[in-house]
Amino acid sequence: MKKTIGIATMMAMAAVPLMAQVEAGKLARETAKEYREWARYPESSKALRQGEADPVKEKRMPTRQTRRGPDDAEPALSVWAAKVSFEKGQAVDLFASLEERGKAVAARAGLAGEIVDVTGAILAEVAYRDDGQAPDRRAGDGVWSARLEPSALASFPTASYMVRVQARLENGDLRSAAGGFLYSDPSARLTGRYRDSLRDGNLVIAAEVEVAETGRFHLAGTIYSPSGEPVGVAQAAANLEPGRHWIELSYYGLMFHERKVAGPYRLGTLALSTTHRMPNALNDLVENAHVTRAYRLGQMRQTSFERPQLLESAKRLELDAERAEREARERAPQQQ
Amino acid sequence: MMSRRLMVPLLVAVAFLAAAGQAAAQPCLIFVHGKQTNTNTFTSYASARNYWVNGSNDFIRTATKSFATSFYVVGYNGTRPYWESQSAGEVANEIVNATNGGADAGGNRCRTTFAQGGTFWVIAHSMGGAVMDFILGNNDASDPNFNLNGPYDQVAQRISLAITTGGAHRGSQGADAVCLQANPLCSFIAIFIQSCDDATFWLRSSDDVQVRTFSNAPARTVNLTGGYEAIFGASACLTGEDDGVVQYASIFACGGSATASYDNSNVCGNSSKQETSGFRNLDATHENHDDERNASDTDVRKAIPGGIWTCGGVPCAPNTTVQSAMNTAQFIAILY
Repeated sequence: MKKTIGIATMMAMAAVPLMAQVEAGKLARETAKEYREWARYPESSKALRQGEADPVKEKRMPTRQTRRGPDDAEPALSVWAAKVSFEKGQAVDLFASLEERGKAVAARAGLAGEIVDVTGAILAEVAYRDDGQAPDRRAGDGVWSARLEPSALASFPTASYMVRVQARLENGDLRSAAGGFLYSDPSARLTGRYRDSLRDGNLVIAAEVEVAETGRFHLAGTIYSPSGEPVGVAQAAANLEPGRHWIELSYYGLMFHERKVAGPYRLGTLALSTTHRMPNALNDLVENAHVTRAYRLGQMRQTSFERPQLLESAKRLELDAERAEREARERAPQQQ
Repeated sequence: MMSRRLMVPLLVAVAFLAAAGQAAAQPCLIFVHGKQTNTNTFTSYASARNYWVNGSNDFIRTATKSFATSFYVVGYNGTRPYWESQSAGEVANEIVNATNGGADAGGNRCRTTFAQGGTFWVIAHSMGGAVMDFILGNNDASDPNFNLNGPYDQVAQRISLAITTGGAHRGSQGADAVCLQANPLCSFIAIFIQSCDDATFWLRSSDDVQVRTFSNAPARTVNLTGGYEAIFGASACLTGEDDGVVQYASIFACGGSATASYDNSNVCGNSSKQETSGFRNLDATHENHDDERNASDTDVRKAIPGGIWTCGGVPCAPNTTVQSAMNTAQFIAILY
């Protein structure tokens, strides 16, 4: 199946199920249904399904960028950073590994990395080591580590940086992969003070921020049940002057009914960012920031929000679907 | 006096009937192109229009059923990062213009305005997917980059849905390879990726440049289709199935690593996307990145997990051949 050059003809001859079809109006109809579902919550607050991962945490978890050799040859080189974003003053820890069938393999002469900015300029070079010295966790485990000390980053503007890594294999072949990290200088920080209340049947958690420079700030947080399940997310943004301010996250009450969970709730993850310019400056993720009082389920609102713009979109899509279905019916006798 | 009293309700009734009739009209298709290596599509309508043409093959003509459906062609600066004013900002302004009944630079306009009850479907190719993700994920005052450089809120209110073909939702390993400057075998289609310019830098697969790091879930559903026809040289540098420029993990907006390996059988379903909501699979096609936007390869289409095709009344099993000869433009034409 992989790499299908030259077999197009064979594929064209593949059997097509007789009844494979896209029903008339299906896309419009299903999208309308989805919008009616979404409309039950305000755009700033969403419920999570049972078993769904915490999206605030997911977005701050670094992922691996993996590249194999030509024609999918193993071993693959994987690179990643300790975090998606590092705050100014923090060391930047970078990792890499050569893997074959999921197992680390040796490199002939270590791994080398370059830190490259958007113009292509190489700002620094790093040597990866697998010697158990920090930040390397275990000597010889095949996970190579490198650290950019804050002093080496002092002159770096806050921006996105590419990490270009090369590894020489035992057989002399070269592997390369590109990762990256965001270097951030946020203009605000969370002070660690929180308060919670109920407003119109919604759970409101206010987080205090200390603003150093006028700007726009975005806060997103995931609320967890007492048993540790993520229940929903809320977000807010505000333009703020220097000083201390409160930003409120409002969790729409219906989500607690749908998951049948009463308080106390835990503010499991909280992500602050400075967003008046791109790339945004991300603060470190704060975990287990706050536990609320033991609110009863009956105190939470149970009604749907009914977002008017989404309902209008749904209505128009339903008309689209009806028209498409009608046209299909009209076409059908002509085709017989 | 008497005649005026009769006239007013009559005019209202006529206006209502007209609006109702128009509301059931076919959606206006708005086309958003992808990455460019020059500014031609931004400065010249002919270039923006020709993006969708290859010889006698015309994606827009086919998708609009020989222009029976009205359409609008967006032209933005495809050399700039997806979030900039000449990319996302320009696209947002043009979409709002389209929904107001304004003409594109070639004189094409949507038959029914938003105020008259019209519906609008955005068709985006390649980097156009990341541009739309950024706009639709920053449409609300609580979003991180709300209306950063254009009327994102109006776009989200007015479009009914988006369809991306070969969308670079999670960047492109082609961009990684070009920015690595490491493997001369990775010969990408020059019109899409020639050098590690600013747009390419921001289309890498690392977390620090991903659209999901700077956006929320899209406010309108983004429907996903893309190709698995390899391109000699280029596909050797991409993981899993790909269209020669963008790998499946990105085309189908998968959560987790943007370089994970997927095929038609196991590509991420609708509950494993880069956001908790707003992305939905349609199908896959034996087209390459070029074919996906110019209707020049009428080829096999395959079902994928959570896709739109039904076989005998139930969802077709992943990797089932659902059509033996249908290009993406023809596919779009059967969706409305």
